[in-house]
Amino acid sequence: MGLETENKDIETNLIEIARGLLKDKKVDVIIGYKKGTLPLLSQPIIIDSEEEVDKLIWNNLCYVNLAKYLVPRVPRFVDSEKGNLKVGVVSKGCVGRALIHLASENKINLDEITIIGIPCNGVVNRQRIEMEIGEKEILEVSVSGDNIIVKGKNFEKEFLFDEYMNDLCKGCKIRKPPLISKAPDLCVGECEEYSNIVDDFSDIAEFEALTPEEKWNQITEELSVCTRCYACREACPMCYCNLCFVDQNKPVWFGKTTDLPDVFVYHLIRAMHMAGRCVACGACSLVCPMGIDLNKINRKLEKIVKERFDFISGLDPDVLPPMVDFKMDDAQEFMLEED
Amino acid sequence: MVEKILKKDDIGKLYSELEKEYKFYAPTKVKGNIAFKHILNAEEIELDYLNSKVPPKDVLFPQKETIFEYRYEGKEVIIEERKDLEDKLLIFGVRPCDAYSFKLLEDFFASGDFQDDIFLKKRENATIIGIGCNSPRQSCFCTSVGGHPFQKESTDVFLSDLGDTYLVEAISEKGKELVKKLSWLADAKKADMEKSKELAKLAEDSFTTKFNFDLVTKVLDENFEHPVWQEISESCIGCSSCTFLCPTCTCFDVIDENDEYNNRGRRIRIWDTCQSCLYTLETSGHNPRPAKIQRCRNRIMHKFSYYPSNYDCLGCVGCGRCITACPVNNELRLIIDKILEIQEKSGEKVSA
Repeated sequence: MGLETENKDIETNLIEIARGLLKDKKVDVIIGYKKGTLPLLSQPIIIDSEEEVDKLIWNNLCYVNLAKYLVPRVPRFVDSEKGNLKVGVVSKGCVGRALIHLASENKINLDEITIIGIPCNGVVNRQRIEMEIGEKEILEVSVSGDNIIVKGKNFEKEFLFDEYMNDLCKGCKIRKPPLISKAPDLCVGECEEYSNIVDDFSDIAEFEALTPEEKWNQITEELSVCTRCYACREACPMCYCNLCFVDQNKPVWFGKTTDLPDVFVYHLIRAMHMAGRCVACGACSLVCPMGIDLNKINRKLEKIVKERFDFISGLDPDVLPPMVDFKMDDAQEFMLEED
Repeated sequence: MVEKILKKDDIGKLYSELEKEYKFYAPTKVKGNIAFKHILNAEEIELDYLNSKVPPKDVLFPQKETIFEYRYEGKEVIIEERKDLEDKLLIFGVRPCDAYSFKLLEDFFASGDFQDDIFLKKRENATIIGIGCNSPRQSCFCTSVGGHPFQKESTDVFLSDLGDTYLVEAISEKGKELVKKLSWLADAKKADMEKSKELAKLAEDSFTTKFNFDLVTKVLDENFEHPVWQEISESCIGCSSCTFLCPTCTCFDVIDENDEYNNRGRRIRIWDTCQSCLYTLETSGHNPRPAKIQRCRNRIMHKFSYYPSNYDCLGCVGCGRCITACPVNNELRLIIDKILEIQEKSGEKVSA
């Protein structure tokens, strides 16, 4: 999977689509990615004029889920007279899924959005690279063939992209935004229709095979460094509550310290809220300043939802997610019945 | 003052001698990142590091700290004061920016109507061994806030990494006492001192990030309501990475945790952050900082405007942690650029 050339083509294509959308007034504003000021980062950027489209980039460092900026809408997406503006969203598969899922929860109106589809081949797991480089400053990151080349003062190291991409991206089956069958004109660029997605969840087989005690140890070790900055929550497009359960203060619902029980309760309950909603973008882990990996928990949830409800989030805005729906044949063996 | 030489191989010896007297904190690797922790084994010490993820502020002002505990005896409430505040602390291998942050923290905790006994007691009992920065990062800017990669003033003892050895300089009285105890340290030669100065010069010249904060403060004071704050806060996702990793942020929240089943409880304080929706939320439900725009502005104003007017210095030590930590790369350098642009634009208008 070559990176550089492939991405350059995508980038050129993206810029032309963006220019066209703004020129033809099909969208008022576009949110995409811009080159970052640090070697392993990109920046979200909002543009509303054709002159700015050249700032748009696409590479394997575009890991922020841009759907986040629509729920709630950032001020620039709302006009004081016109109301909600029409927003073009540069969307890799998981951004598209987030938008579609948010529509199914009635949080956004897809008519006010244009999904600019990008075929994504995975984002770089920047924390893993940073940790492996250790206490040396990374000054330059480039891509050549299948490798990520990381350079600094007196060192240069190559990382195989396929191995050092974010874990969720490795087995991703929905790399382009799903085409919305009812309103295909809301999708431009590369979107795709998906049916019969087969996912064997082999990536978490090893984790599942652990004993409860081993799982506990692994997860608690992971969470032990959490500072409760809530970057995971704030980066998550599905975390849109007006007041998060951990912020409830009349009365306080949960302990606010960084003691393990409090940290654990926060992550556990947040995970429960993600069931059938997580779109596997991995933003929660990629934004964590402490490099906490929440991917395994999210994947396990995804698997439970798939097996139990045969549901994959973010594919169809008209299908209700299992946690907000009830079907007579839902499995309910956990209920105590008299028979 | 006599300068000494510490061989890198002798760190263990230094540790075993000092840990008897001090609670010894030093940089160590915790889950892939450097953190200042209570060291139980000299081999855990990692002095060859850029800077810690969470600043050593954490040692004197931890994210969660018990103020006191209490227990019920019948109807009476017995307060149990902390007993560990008399411990002598040694914070080893602190970068000059972080050492300087202790002074800013002290300014905050000692000023005004309230003296923060817990912090001040700990600060008084802490000895700081600093270490010079041979290679500042591109995100570092201590020289713009009155600091220097080899600034020694805020430390008690200062180390310079000379390759195989450290030059040891006793800075304060406390430091001189400490160095005296390490009688086995060899005397430094003139060449060692020269080398340290050379390294300091090289480090100073390597800075790429530089700001004119006098101007920044002036522009900030005049532009509280400027539309640039909308632009600055636009991509911010509202997490607290920048404030929780900041060595000078001091906001905290006080909470009582009652353990009914055991007839006891504790009053604790935890770090608060101006980026949180609960910050400055009043009982009425009103919040003077209801949205990201006010919260982003508060962080910048606090460091670069309120601090200068309250304490006559900047509330920033230039460690660059907020620059590298921001997950959406909405970093300080860009924010400062945007603020200074206001000035440039108004200047253009005047000349036109």
